[in-house]
Amino acid sequence: MPVSPVPKTTANALETQGIGKRFGGFWAVKDVTFSVRPGERRAILGPNGAGKTSLFNILTGDYAASSGSIRLFGEDVTKSSVPKRIKNGLRRTYQHAYLFDGLSVHDTLFLAVAGLRGGWRQILPVRKSDPRRIEAERLAEVCGIPEFLDRMVSDLSHGQRRQLEIGIALAEDPKVLLLDEPAAGLSPAERPQLSNLLLSLPTDVTVILIEHDMDIAFRTSESVTVLFNGQLMAEGTPDEVMANKDVHEIYVGGTHSE
Amino acid sequence: MRYLIVLIPALLLPFVLTDFWLAQVLTRSLILGIIALSLSFLATYLGVVSFAQASLAGVAGYAIAYFGPNTVGIGVPLPFIVKLPLALLLAMIAGALIGFVARRSRGIYAIMITLAIGVAFFYFTRQNYVLFNGFTGFSGVLPPALGDRSWGDPRPLYYLSLGVAIICVAMVQGFVRSPLGLAVQAVRDAPGRLLALGIPTTFPIIAAFAFSGLIAGSGGILNAWFQERVSSFSVGFGPIIDILIISVIGGLRHPTGAFVGAIVYVILDIFAIDLIDRDRFNLLIGIVLLAIVVAAPNGLQQLAIDWVGALRKRAAKTPAN
Ligand SMILES: Nc1ncnc2c1ncn2[C@@H]1O[C@H](COP(=O)(O)OP(=O)(O)OP(=O)(O)O)[C@@H](O)[C@H]1O
Ligand SMILES: [Mg+2]
Repeated sequence: MPVSPVPKTTANALETQGIGKRFGGFWAVKDVTFSVRPGERRAILGPNGAGKTSLFNILTGDYAASSGSIRLFGEDVTKSSVPKRIKNGLRRTYQHAYLFDGLSVHDTLFLAVAGLRGGWRQILPVRKSDPRRIEAERLAEVCGIPEFLDRMVSDLSHGQRRQLEIGIALAEDPKVLLLDEPAAGLSPAERPQLSNLLLSLPTDVTVILIEHDMDIAFRTSESVTVLFNGQLMAEGTPDEVMANKDVHEIYVGGTHSE
Repeated sequence: MRYLIVLIPALLLPFVLTDFWLAQVLTRSLILGIIALSLSFLATYLGVVSFAQASLAGVAGYAIAYFGPNTVGIGVPLPFIVKLPLALLLAMIAGALIGFVARRSRGIYAIMITLAIGVAFFYFTRQNYVLFNGFTGFSGVLPPALGDRSWGDPRPLYYLSLGVAIICVAMVQGFVRSPLGLAVQAVRDAPGRLLALGIPTTFPIIAAFAFSGLIAGSGGILNAWFQERVSSFSVGFGPIIDILIISVIGGLRHPTGAFVGAIVYVILDIFAIDLIDRDRFNLLIGIVLLAIVVAAPNGLQQLAIDWVGALRKRAAKTPAN
């Protein structure tokens, strides 16, 4: 494992200042200011269409922010490319598994581990004993699909694809993990496994978790942010947030699918 | 092991076939197969159909003519050891440039861009006399001597083409298992996802096109030696379409499909004249292509594999004695 550059102790892992994303005249995310400490476990709640995934897309650089600024360990990354933010330790999973269907699980995890570093050797076939392949095998173990290493990604079940998503996100020393509804579509039996996986992550990894499943969200997170109509509605400990009248209204009182 | 079934006959064929069959059918199929392989590679692993592969073959063919012996008095003769890598390098650079231009294009847009490049190159070779000798191109493009004979004689050229074809297939199979080759396939499946792994997508695209230029260029050089000439006709609409047809006939499941497609195409090309009017050849190839696309959407090779699989299953069901 490469030694991670120690972030300035004062800097938050992630910090946004009034970020927003506009599609035409519609703000999917509007004026969101929040910060997450290094090592913190944060859940993001909100009804469908609240802007949670859009917020992730802004943080990772998949969407250019229409307003505001983003700091990653104190460094302004608002205008940085996706690969640059990845290099700084930001990782994400996708709500709708977005994977390389034509590759095997092993090759997918290998790519996540190896990237394209290492110069001209990248045109040579990968050897079986390559340490990066071994690391890929370890990741498959961690995310719970070691027996499917040789399977094509297109042949995986929905749940296995979700697990692979997490395996990819865990490659190469992640510092901030953005997980977009990792439990969606999992069977009741698989959900506790996911909670355990999240709880077993190294404590210095910062996790931001979008989750509709309250059980998982509250079991694995120490703080909660609630989004509504693209805006920040409430923030605090799980108890504080659940006591919030507005949150109660939209979340418990109201209906939402999923 | 399975390759030996094909390889051993391939090595022995020159001893049983006439020169006509060896040169006009097999060697020609191998050369067309190599060029078609460069297209199948891009289509299968990058998911881009390129119409510029005839141009890439042409770049190397023209280079070997320009830097080597020819009978039109144009060019700078260079020693073999210099001009061969130079010709391949130029084809790779041309491939990289096309990849750069087409880097954001997929599907129909990639087809349009590469077709435009291929057609532009065709007209350019016709109009430029300093480098390409215009309409007539280069003649007398001879391969190097082989003792007191020439590499251009039927048997040596056949073995040379066979060797190059094997190397090209092996290179494709090695490349697609390399980190860069995996990244190329990842671009095909989910470019945004690759970016989210911190891997830029432009480089794998350019590398894939450059690699396809290396393969097409190998075929292009052999083609120039085979025909002992290279001209605008080598890079025109005819070859552009031929290469596409060969790739489709052979299917995209395995790199060697290109060679199956090439043999079928060449045999049709040669023997159709006996059956129908020369002018109707396009009609015939069109009908054959249609039949193959309907009967074997994954190409003839896959059809054969499916048949063999079905036969094996039946054999397994009816146990011997
Ligand atoms: N690329 C886009 N173009 C236009 N509108 C978009 C785009 N992406 C998101 N939106 C809109 O922004 C709003 C927020 O979407 P987002 O996907 O962020 O919601 P979410 O909170 O993740 O919802 P869910 O819980 O259903 O996943 C939605 O109304 C959506 O239609
Ligand atoms: Mg979402």
